[in-house]
Amino acid sequence: MSVTTQESTGEAPGQVPQPSLAGDRLRAIAGNQLTILLLVLVALVVFFSFKNPIFYSSAEISNITIDFSGLVLLAIAETFVIVSGGIDLSVGSTVAISGVVGAEMMIHFQAHMGLALDLLLGTFVCLIVGTIVGAVNAILITVVNLVPFVATLVTYSAGFGLALVLSSGGDVGNNQNAIVWSASGWWIFTWLDIIVLVGSVLLCVGLHFTRYGRFTFAIGSNAFAARAAGINVKRHIASVYILAGALAGLTGMFFYIRIGAGSPNTGTDANLQAIACVVIGGVALTGGSGNAIGTLLGCAILTVVADGLIFINVPPTWKDVVVGAIIAVAAGLQAIRTTGFRSRQ
Amino acid sequence: MTLERTPILELRNISKSYGSVQALTDVSFKAYAGEVIGLVGDNGAGKSTLIKTISGVHHADQGDLLVDGVVRHWKSPHDSMANGIETLYQDSGLAPDLTIGSNIFLGREIRRSGVAGRLGFLDQKSMERRALDELEKVGISVPPSKRTVSQLSGGQRQAVAIGRAVMWAKHVIVLDEPTNHLGARQSLEVLKVIQSARDAGLCVLFISHTLPHVLEVTDRIIVLRLGRVVRDSPTTDYSVESLLGTITGLNT
Repeated sequence: MSVTTQESTGEAPGQVPQPSLAGDRLRAIAGNQLTILLLVLVALVVFFSFKNPIFYSSAEISNITIDFSGLVLLAIAETFVIVSGGIDLSVGSTVAISGVVGAEMMIHFQAHMGLALDLLLGTFVCLIVGTIVGAVNAILITVVNLVPFVATLVTYSAGFGLALVLSSGGDVGNNQNAIVWSASGWWIFTWLDIIVLVGSVLLCVGLHFTRYGRFTFAIGSNAFAARAAGINVKRHIASVYILAGALAGLTGMFFYIRIGAGSPNTGTDANLQAIACVVIGGVALTGGSGNAIGTLLGCAILTVVADGLIFINVPPTWKDVVVGAIIAVAAGLQAIRTTGFRSRQ
Repeated sequence: MTLERTPILELRNISKSYGSVQALTDVSFKAYAGEVIGLVGDNGAGKSTLIKTISGVHHADQGDLLVDGVVRHWKSPHDSMANGIETLYQDSGLAPDLTIGSNIFLGREIRRSGVAGRLGFLDQKSMERRALDELEKVGISVPPSKRTVSQLSGGQRQAVAIGRAVMWAKHVIVLDEPTNHLGARQSLEVLKVIQSARDAGLCVLFISHTLPHVLEVTDRIIVLRLGRVVRDSPTTDYSVESLLGTITGLNT
């Protein structure tokens, strides 16, 4: 539910004796989870800045924001899917294949149409490719009745495979204009960052305040109840995977612009990173509960750690170990919460 | 009754099988407005299948379902709800991670006015407030709370589920084991809600294993055994012993 809902439950109305005080206390912790995440994020930034003052420079912050932007749409996509009670292992490979196909199409139309039209064409193609992958997931899950893990494992594998086949294993295109544009922007943000950030916030708002989001939570919480309440569960689940695919496709275009090429190697570890953001953010992998703001903070923590470690001269090989430890702590807290909630039938 | 009233709900020769298992065979009965009907039977007698057929979760293989004299075919639970039939499913009717208001208005969300509403934005405050008001109207009071349903007690949870069915039903309420997991006092309150729903002119299908409750609150009892209706008589014709005998098939 929304942030305000969680925080305001601390002062439960006193006139009626209410059971499940343990639930209230746990819920208070859940409400505080966002606060904890925010504090952890601030602490990390302070720590890294203290160890190396250059960390707190606009150049480095720009690095972090651009890494954040490359991950956050996937993390939000994963949040929608996980809240609905599923999982999507294919967002990373969708980044690769949509970037490659988008690049191929831009070359195919040998677009001396100017950068803007070029990028519009690429964006459109990436969106279509991502939507198609999402639609394949949706069909495998809602029509063939595969469990989401298996269905998206299929598209994960096939997606990376196709990206390699179509690109012959190398980068497609060499669009220097795109790279130059990708660095332009306002203050510490590039235009790309701004577009992605605004989009992310809109998606968070959509998840928590619209009927579409409410249906997503309801289905993840109890799919039978949702169906019994007249919600078209299959259609909604299908739409969630298509949304996730579309967002992954747009991320494919994001990476094309940053490196000026469609590379089959982008997104290789993006699945797990996106899921890590969701877990750190406190979204329940069982579906039905969580907060997209948590995902945003999880994403920020992950990128700050990844970039900060390099800055304090920790060998890059240690990065994944640290990330693993963070996931363990976050998931541990989550496990304590869900065990507390086990009063449900 | 001088004139034959039109039954608000009528089943004609409903049959349903799952693969080789015949769950329902030729089930027929009529239910009238302002009547509480007990639907009893042993485990596997077909009660759940029958309920799900009435509510549109399942489709009958054969037979007709009539609401107010008109043959209806449900494509999904949405259709039965649109025709005034509300169903409370055993144990699984609510989304535990959502608030009371969100559950009451699940599938019937109130949107904000204006452009925001058209974009799908919800008016959560109205839903929470109106949920409590409407529950109060049907005799159920729950403390105002923004907590999720998973944090309510079993009794409160059941009360919310029953309240939702009663407040939205226009013709028929189907209640599957509404007194399960409830203490004696809470069960009495549920029975009271059922009676006031009947007095308000609704038809209530009451499914329960607790035979004293069935005998207390119903006007008529339909007994299912192995997917068939074996007896359909006014409640006054049964005693606990004869009802038990009919259910198990030991006296016929």
